[in-house]
Amino acid sequence: MRQLCKGNVALVKGALLAGCRGYYGYPITPASEIAEAAALYFPQVGGTFLQAESETAAINMVYGAAATGLRVMSASSGPGLSLMQEGISYLAGAELPCVIVDVMRGGPGLGNIAPEQSDYFAMVKGGGHGNYRNLVLAPASVQEMADLTILAFELADKYRNPAVVLADGFVGQMMEPLDLEYREVPQPEKPWAVKGTPETRGNLISSIFLEPDGLEDHERKMEAKYLRAQEAEPRYEMSYTEDAEVLLVGYGIVARIVHSAVEALRRQGVKAGLFRPITLWPYPSKALVKAAAHVEKVLVVELSNGQMVEDVRLALNGKVPVEFYGRGGGNVPSVKEIQEQVLGRVAAAV
Amino acid sequence: MATDTSVVAPKAISMADYKGRVDPDWCPGCGDFGVLAAVQKALVELQIPKHEVATISGIGCSSNFPGFIETYGMHTLHGRALPVATGMKLANHAMTVLVTGGDGDGFGIGCGHFVHAMRRNVDLTYIVMDNQIYGLTTGQTSPTSRIGMKTKSMPYGNIESPLSPVALALAAGATFVARGFSGDQKHLTELLKRGIEHKGFSFIDVFSPCVTYNHDNTFQWFRPRVKKLEDNPDYDASDWNVAMEKSVIWGEEIPIGKFFERTDLPTLHGAEPVLSAGPLVHQNNRIPADVAKTFIEELM
Ligand SMILES: Cc1ncc(C[n+]2csc(CCOP(=O)(O)OP(=O)(O)O)c2C)c(N)n1
Ligand code: SF4
Ligand SMILES: [Mg+2]
Repeated sequence: MRQLCKGNVALVKGALLAGCRGYYGYPITPASEIAEAAALYFPQVGGTFLQAESETAAINMVYGAAATGLRVMSASSGPGLSLMQEGISYLAGAELPCVIVDVMRGGPGLGNIAPEQSDYFAMVKGGGHGNYRNLVLAPASVQEMADLTILAFELADKYRNPAVVLADGFVGQMMEPLDLEYREVPQPEKPWAVKGTPETRGNLISSIFLEPDGLEDHERKMEAKYLRAQEAEPRYEMSYTEDAEVLLVGYGIVARIVHSAVEALRRQGVKAGLFRPITLWPYPSKALVKAAAHVEKVLVVELSNGQMVEDVRLALNGKVPVEFYGRGGGNVPSVKEIQEQVLGRVAAAV
Repeated sequence: MATDTSVVAPKAISMADYKGRVDPDWCPGCGDFGVLAAVQKALVELQIPKHEVATISGIGCSSNFPGFIETYGMHTLHGRALPVATGMKLANHAMTVLVTGGDGDGFGIGCGHFVHAMRRNVDLTYIVMDNQIYGLTTGQTSPTSRIGMKTKSMPYGNIESPLSPVALALAAGATFVARGFSGDQKHLTELLKRGIEHKGFSFIDVFSPCVTYNHDNTFQWFRPRVKKLEDNPDYDASDWNVAMEKSVIWGEEIPIGKFFERTDLPTLHGAEPVLSAGPLVHQNNRIPADVAKTFIEELM
């Protein structure tokens, strides 16, 4: 069914289709509509919604409910995610699947409620303590708010690990057509879960391993699954890359603007291309290396002071010069601005 | 020209001194205007110079308060105003430290800090603009929302019991516990003055209606219900048990006024021996040579 929908609401619809039946959250702009839509829709399909007293409480409710094998989630924005980091580390350590949404706003501190992409470090590189990774997906449209949330639940279960939908305030707040069909999203068996049944009686959910060898084994096991994810899960989208001389890299809303800029540049005769990572962890490094193999320069555009650009530089490892252009505070680069950036400092060399 | 609105004879400090440089951006008719005016009036009537006052808040409509009053101010983290204020008070206990915020800020996300600040008897005046709703985030249920109340986050009606901030404060050991109403300026100003003068943690829960998102607990709803404890000459605010009984009364009659006060417990800074020499910020913090010597010897 095709409908006009707000990104934050589409995300909840996706979660319900994925079989998510537990939502624990706390209001914060620009993510509040996720909690509000969950409050409205979850009870209609037999799910529970609870407004926690804080994000700290919310993520620990996720911890408790995820242990039963139920598909559960929470959503917030920057400051709330800071408070969740402790719980996310424990969820990862105890290998519990869940979905956490960050609709990024401006920061640090209270910052403002306008969109930024400044939580990349916090969500992609960790943020909580210890050896763990989040699976991170970055939607660029209202449709993807729903689709990638469904995928997030699947990946979370597949790897028994928290999955993060890292959206920006624009994608959360904007309205676009959304196509959703009712479909059964199969849920895997979870023999590890604590279900209150005779079969699961002996199960223990824990992240504590007091013996050095025990903890090392556990961490190696986690590392092995992260390596499997790095092989199997990188996702990305490319346009105009075959003959590109300048490669632009952006994710989320930025990729949409960059796409228009690339087309405008092509009309001007500049061979520009776009690489859009969809998974931020695992980062589609191999694909990026391929896409950048014959370009003269790479320009990374972000709504930050330069966070994802570090992963681009890491992937390209000095093979191609990587430039950066960022805006912040809720300011978004226009198509023209990106075009000028390319023409001014990148294309000049081409 | 500044106008002196205090009841006492001409004074140096007037309302104009406490007028903020920024006009409040609260919705017209918001209860928080009345609380701001009452706080300014209380400070003027107590003749406290503005450089001796700090106003600390968390996040929320009510927490924008420090921006609207001409004192030192800090606009801090959601729910964390009390620990920030505790830090400030311990660093400079000569200051009159006011803490302002909302019901979500103080009784939801900040509830753990609320209990511990009272247990410690930190000498702060904590003023909560209690509107039974999350105003700033545009109308979700709060820890003081009544059962059945419909909000954006409880579209089918609130199923959770609200907490009683006054009862909680009494249980946690607050040494001054009061409740006011933004619609009764004179009474609220008196409560604030007593709270500011009190040595120790003073908690003043203020019914401060959100005219935009709470259509249940309005000025009109509160006005006939609030009954002043002070109207009963036999009410004994030193009796904790009676205060506890009164604190949970809610319905056709809702008590306001000073529920409880005790003055026999030391404040946190009063109990801290090193602070007897004066505020930390004004102390000479060089280590005396003899102490330093013993110290180093101990470390060897
Ligand atoms: C960690 C964190 N979570 C959520 C928010 C969003 N937020 C700002 S104010 C607020 C609640 C405001 O309610 P209340 O304290 O009752 O103040 P009011 O606006 O009603 O005066 C929330 C949830 C935030 N700023 N920080
Ligand atoms: S939303 Fe409510 S609490 Fe906030 S300023 Fe408006 S009336 Fe006051
Ligand atoms: Mg409130």
